[in-house]
Amino acid sequence: MGLIQRAVEKVGIPTIGVTLQKEITRRVKPPRALFVRYPFGHPMGEAFAARQQRAVLLAALEALETITEPGTIVEPGWAWRRHRFD
Amino acid sequence: MQPLRDLGNAVAVQLFKHVPWIGEQWARRHRVVEATTVPWAPVAKRVKESSVALVTTAGVHLASDPAFDMDDADGDPSVREIPSDVDPRLLTITHRYYDHRAADRDINVVLPLERLRELVDEGRVGAMAPRAFSFMGHIDGRHLATLMERTAPMVAERLRADRAEAVFVTPA
Repeated sequence: MGLIQRAVEKVGIPTIGVTLQKEITRRVKPPRALFVRYPFGHPMGEAFAARQQRAVLLAALEALETITEPGTIVEPGWAWRRHRFD
Repeated sequence: MQPLRDLGNAVAVQLFKHVPWIGEQWARRHRVVEATTVPWAPVAKRVKESSVALVTTAGVHLASDPAFDMDDADGDPSVREIPSDVDPRLLTITHRYYDHRAADRDINVVLPLERLRELVDEGRVGAMAPRAFSFMGHIDGRHLATLMERTAPMVAERLRADRAEAVFVTPA
């Protein structure tokens, strides 16, 4: 995923990615990342949890606008299946 | 021995999903193309004025397109295009290395096409780029060069041709 972000940034388009594994992200060094402590296969959350999926997407797009330091990883800290998205 | 290998893989997939510690151990040892520099394209416009594109490595594709090659241990470095206004029922996932039962039922779990469309309709995102791009994110060995030298730059060029101004990327 980092390699794809690298290629896209190279043509001048900013990217932000969701990461489920911070250790990998630290080594791959994408420009901007949103870390969620969710299981593999669930970067946006649970099936049909539209509010949760929307919150992940909005948090990422907000981070895209606000991150100024290359390599920043933003962490909303939502607990899997415990956090309520209203 | 294939059934035994499939069973082993299925067990591993569930362990990785449910036991975070195993994922962390894997991440520590997993070979990645380590970077020394951080790429950086500055954000020139507000998201509400930008055309946003989706890219995923979750192995999503139109069911009518060829599946990703799961028999090659080094993965499949090719890419599939998905029209942004696609009927989600036309999509499928070919990826053996994660549990995609949730994403099979609701594609927005890995590729938030409908969520992005809603934000565009509400005026919180300027527009949705005409197509999304999907990889099978389990690429290693000789296929890394294909990804880095061919498919990833090709997708970057197509995103530029589509006038995408920001890209949201999701893993599996």
